[in-house]
Amino acid sequence: MKWNIEKVRNIGISAHIDSGKTTLTERILFYTQRIHAIHEVRGKDGVGATMDSMELEKERGITIQSAATYCSWKDHTINIIDTPGHVDFTIEVERALRVLDGAVLILCSVGGVQSQSITVNRQMTRYKVPRIAFINKCDRTGANPERVAGQLRDKLGLNAVMLQIPIGLENALEGVVDLVKMKALYFDGDQGEKVREAEIPAHMMEEALAKREELLDVASMFSDELMEAVLEGTPTEEMIHDAVRRGTLSLEMAPVFVGSAYKNKGVQALLDAVIRYLPNPTDVENIALDLQKDEEEFVVRPDPEKPLISLAFKLEDGRYGQLTYIRTYQGSLKKGDSIVNSRNGKKFKVGRLVRMHSNEMEEIEQAGPGDIVALFGIDCASGDTFTSSDISVSMSSMHVPEPVISLAIIPVDNKSQQNMSKALNRFTKEDPTFRTFVDKETNETIISGMGELHLEVYIERMKREYGAEVAAGQPRVAYRETITQRAEFNYTHKKQTGGSGQYGRVAGYLEPMEEGDYEFVDKIVGGVIPREFISSCDKGFAKSLEKGSLAGAQITGVRCVITDGAYHAVDSSDIAFQLAAIGGFKEGYMKASPVIMEPIMKVAVEGPSEFQGAAMGSLNQRRGIIVGTTEEGDYTVIEAEVPLAEMFGYSTVLRSLTQGKAEFTMEFSSFRAVPKSVADSVIKAYQDEKNKK
Amino acid sequence: MLKKDLVKNNPLRILSPAPGKDSPDCSMGVVISRAGLGKTAVLVQIALDAIFRGNKVLHVSIGEGLDKAKVWYDDLFHEIIKGQSVENVTDLGDDIRKNRMIMTFKESAFSRPKLEERLNDLVYQNIFRPDCVVIDGLDFAGADRAALEDIRELMTAMNLHVWFTALSHRDDQRASKNGVPAPCHEMEDLFETVILLQPQDGGINLRIIKDDVGSAGAGRVLPLDTATMIVTEGK
Repeated sequence: MKWNIEKVRNIGISAHIDSGKTTLTERILFYTQRIHAIHEVRGKDGVGATMDSMELEKERGITIQSAATYCSWKDHTINIIDTPGHVDFTIEVERALRVLDGAVLILCSVGGVQSQSITVNRQMTRYKVPRIAFINKCDRTGANPERVAGQLRDKLGLNAVMLQIPIGLENALEGVVDLVKMKALYFDGDQGEKVREAEIPAHMMEEALAKREELLDVASMFSDELMEAVLEGTPTEEMIHDAVRRGTLSLEMAPVFVGSAYKNKGVQALLDAVIRYLPNPTDVENIALDLQKDEEEFVVRPDPEKPLISLAFKLEDGRYGQLTYIRTYQGSLKKGDSIVNSRNGKKFKVGRLVRMHSNEMEEIEQAGPGDIVALFGIDCASGDTFTSSDISVSMSSMHVPEPVISLAIIPVDNKSQQNMSKALNRFTKEDPTFRTFVDKETNETIISGMGELHLEVYIERMKREYGAEVAAGQPRVAYRETITQRAEFNYTHKKQTGGSGQYGRVAGYLEPMEEGDYEFVDKIVGGVIPREFISSCDKGFAKSLEKGSLAGAQITGVRCVITDGAYHAVDSSDIAFQLAAIGGFKEGYMKASPVIMEPIMKVAVEGPSEFQGAAMGSLNQRRGIIVGTTEEGDYTVIEAEVPLAEMFGYSTVLRSLTQGKAEFTMEFSSFRAVPKSVADSVIKAYQDEKNKK
Repeated sequence: MLKKDLVKNNPLRILSPAPGKDSPDCSMGVVISRAGLGKTAVLVQIALDAIFRGNKVLHVSIGEGLDKAKVWYDDLFHEIIKGQSVENVTDLGDDIRKNRMIMTFKESAFSRPKLEERLNDLVYQNIFRPDCVVIDGLDFAGADRAALEDIRELMTAMNLHVWFTALSHRDDQRASKNGVPAPCHEMEDLFETVILLQPQDGGINLRIIKDDVGSAGAGRVLPLDTATMIVTEGK
């Protein structure tokens, strides 16, 4: 097939957990004939959905890693990234959005806009991803797509406009009314594969006309031609499509579609909408940084003849070595080409080039701009830019959230020890929110990440994929320490042990920083500390930040300023000034009123209003601050800010308080100082642990 | 500038009832205007003033979402502190977070029994004990005098100060003899304070029509900065 970039769509499918993303993707693959049978997420056939390729994903019925696939629909190529719904795996969503041109936001017609939908929507806005919404599960009891469309407007601030309305709801869901064509669409056949167009049922005509009126009102804001035609009463389908596309691409409109993926209703119409309204790679402006011109920004052109610019957005370690998912933005990538990693200048030859279809792959010879493919045997990190050798550019970096929870893992035997190292090496490369280090004091390996489930999944993967059995300690909150006021220091490091000694004096002050983790400021004049030792001071301060003296937590938000010092012609050295800086920091730190900071989570509890009081009480007991409540009919959402340390085991508590009728989600919000009483117990626990060793 | 100076210099200082612990009794106030003149902005400034004076405020929003209400607080707080070199801005932000709670209801879902039930949930479990309640978006045109009396009775029983916003319409010329416009013209006596927002000479004025317990006195006018929606010092 001749490569036509305008017929490519790179789309993401993202939403709240359990809103049916993977089920929808399964239908898309089936209708586009990529697969020949539909398997359900928790299907009785035990196969699991195609996109959930990881064993754990199949078992738990949730998507953990995003999977990439492509399909063809009406002469268009659609690259799809199925992204996880759980907030712990949010980095997967962020990465996918960075490389996508458009997205389908899936919502449950019963649950509506939930907290994760808000997170995902915010991420989409951050990366300027045009989106269409699909209100799924219209067959479920309590389905109310109209309410959900209202929430899209109220809660997400989207200019959401229904392009379809359902014919019947819950058990009676039969099909949808297309408000552009003004036709009813039914999905016949065992698996809804035959789309039948018919007249709108008479009893729905009035509603359909009113909804079409609303659609025309909004769409005509994006097209003068349509506006005139509406006034004259002659709008055509093409005019409406064109106006909706413009509105969608400008991020000023979000067309809304309805259906039930599980009942095979509405999926083909959604695919039509994807190719009709979501952008092709030429519609989207991507910015790269010119490394030869001091990171000057420039617009990337999706031209196959121009030099290659591509971004590695996901790594996976497979049977044949590291698999690197790449999105090309400019130029072409061919087998045998020589490409350069612009981060480290390393050159690679493109060996195997494949298109991914979940965990299966298809060999290809070349990829054009806008394509999403995978390469084998390339050593790189997620977020690296690959270019042809004649240019030196980088795509802008991706936002990576800080981990908030950690736990110690101890391998059960020697074999597990070796395998654990291999596993950790791979996982940390794949996932920048998953970190690991060895605690120098306890000699334990600590893993940290975005939530309990996040770490649990990696421990399970170590066992299953690497045979590394580990004993995991209790999850611990990743505290931070910071200072609250300016304090001065003046420290001399002096050591005389025969031979050449060590000498260095540093003086200056520490002060709190509103933004950023650490800054070193050199205000030395007159060479009281020689230039070659300035960086030693910086190194010493940086080292001091690794572990605070209150709770052994990382110190952040400190500016270290040196204003004075002294050296010795013979005894001063790099190490002497590093140690002097460490001593100076220690001296200043305790005077700077240090505090312990803890991660605060944004928690949303959703459930029947009758349990509102009980749920609020439970959050209050956990040192939570109730931000607010939203009451809609018999359903209430409570939004609160609660310290992560208090949230362990909350799901069980909430279940028993609400007869299992309420659920909650949480995501990291910020670090805040812990109250004195809590700080005292954290400090005591740290001191006790230290004394034990 | 310290927090106490921010409170002292607030042009709303002349307003009454002064919401909060240092006011003698509970009282009711209302901000009336046509659509789009800044009722919510004034209400939120009254709430922020109460918070900075050490009170807890329950913000009840009828017909608008939680995020919209939060944005009002964030925006107006930043406007208030802008250019004032206020110390401890983070602490002030924390004050707002800890001492404000937002409750949103659909228009059809708001009623006195519902509000009472929610307030009881908060107070009896010691989750949040408000000193002041601001209610934005109550449909005065659809609410009769009895409904307002009912709310007043609840607020009196709970010893709370309450402020409302009320929407007036250009084409409804009815007004009380003191100039309180419809839809509040027949319930003027239920409020200790009545404020009217009026467009004038390209700007917006905050006119105090009634002030039974404060120091401002009826007839006092404060201008509203139309760019920031902040109430400024009257001449």
